[in-house]
Amino acid sequence: MARADDYAPFRDRCAIAGIGRTEFSRDSGRSELALATEAARAAMADAGLTADDIDGVVRCQMDHNSASAMTGALALRNVGFSADVAVGGDAPCAMVGVAVAAVLSGQARHVLVYRSLNGRSEGRLGAAIAPRPEAGGHGNYDEFFTPYGLLTAPQSFALLARRHMIEYGTTEEHFGAVAIACREHANRTPHAQMHGKPLDMTQYLASRMISDPLRLFDCCLETDGAAAVIVTTAERAKDLAQPPALIRATAHAPATGMSGGMMFPSITWEEPLKLAPRNVARQLWARAGLGPQDMDVAQIYDCFTISLMLQLEQYGLCGEGESGPFVASGAISADGGSIPVNTDGGNMSGGYIHGLNHIVEGVRQMRGTADVQVKDAETCLVTSGPMGISSAMVLRRAA
Amino acid sequence: MTLPRIRPATWDRDTGPFFAAAAERRLVYKHCNACGRGNHVPTPSCRFCGSTDTAWREAEGKGTLYTWTTVTHPVHPAYPAPYTVVIVTLEAAPDVRLTGSVPGAPDLAPGQPMEVWFEDLGEGCVLPNWRPA
Repeated sequence: MARADDYAPFRDRCAIAGIGRTEFSRDSGRSELALATEAARAAMADAGLTADDIDGVVRCQMDHNSASAMTGALALRNVGFSADVAVGGDAPCAMVGVAVAAVLSGQARHVLVYRSLNGRSEGRLGAAIAPRPEAGGHGNYDEFFTPYGLLTAPQSFALLARRHMIEYGTTEEHFGAVAIACREHANRTPHAQMHGKPLDMTQYLASRMISDPLRLFDCCLETDGAAAVIVTTAERAKDLAQPPALIRATAHAPATGMSGGMMFPSITWEEPLKLAPRNVARQLWARAGLGPQDMDVAQIYDCFTISLMLQLEQYGLCGEGESGPFVASGAISADGGSIPVNTDGGNMSGGYIHGLNHIVEGVRQMRGTADVQVKDAETCLVTSGPMGISSAMVLRRAA
Repeated sequence: MTLPRIRPATWDRDTGPFFAAAAERRLVYKHCNACGRGNHVPTPSCRFCGSTDTAWREAEGKGTLYTWTTVTHPVHPAYPAPYTVVIVTLEAAPDVRLTGSVPGAPDLAPGQPMEVWFEDLGEGCVLPNWRPA
């Protein structure tokens, strides 16, 4: 068994020095490569770096833009490290972890981490997973799910939401409280896709059912856009253009009793309402030497309302099974909540950049430049998607 | 459902025996001889203890309803809404949860008894399916 201080050596030794993002829209009218390079150039400019300074590239394995494509498009002449990190929305915090590993092992000095997708106008992530006439094989296990009509992410998460209602008495108004909190933050964030579109409980309950108990407004957005961050050492970051957001710790851990396959098999795992976050949390708090009580703000991966709720429980921000009453109490609101969550609207109302958007907002909070700034925030929990081998990190404001 | 349903791959070396048994109207799951737990989805070694001493075991087609969702937003022409996806805990092996599909939007209750039935998709392809007992 590893000791907590096995991981102490990387605490606060790296930082996010630059952030960039494109407009978030329903139709970018541009290629995913054009979006990715715009976000990357914005992050480099934000940090005060040039293409010649970037010597590492980390890609999400679902991104259509390869590290080579980015290296070429950005004319990065000095790349000495590249990596693909899986899987999809579970990956972003782990991508930062890989960048930290590259920087601390001397394989790179400034690592570009990016995610780009035309998630609305080109490949909709809410669409059916297996439209082919035969499903499964080669360890994706779709043969046990899609023939029965279990075809999409909302349907898969609806099974978890129903089980949460069965075990804990969670109500539809509890799910609605998450959607409304995210929307309220988005309405104070000009960059958010749902800015200017208020949502109240009456509207939430009137929204059409997609796969019960999940309604339209329990589902995140599908977005065209890109985001990027630059990881370097804390020492170098001090001399760059922005106040560094220190990377206190990153973590990357599996669910208990899990299998391969994308998403659908999660309902067959040992702990469907805990999934990977149960184990990511334990590892993260040990590596960080901090706990949920030390967090001032949190950016929690919210592909659906239920995904955010089960993470509130597993990261210890509320008790097991208590996320419903917790969110209904206003606890995740930036207006006086005990732990403001998804201060830019998150995936639900800000924009769906597959979780890299949560990292960008976490950095903005640590700089003190967020649109919905949590006063004197010094620590931020950032999480990625809860299925598969998931990841999370703690950011800290530099002293 | 007039359009052809999505058919399960039955050729996979790890999972194919589940469907081969179904073609004989038998329900089977992967059992670990080392720790005694059931494994689904089926894998060559046990996901709980790592043992490779696993074997297919036949089960009576009885279970209880673990969770469900009624799909009201259709996404595939062969699956017109509404229909209800059910997840059933196998009585013989409580670690095993299997998928089924019930037409429409039936009244369901957690833990209610469910029973297996075998849905013939043609050309030798048979799907174990579940309905309220």
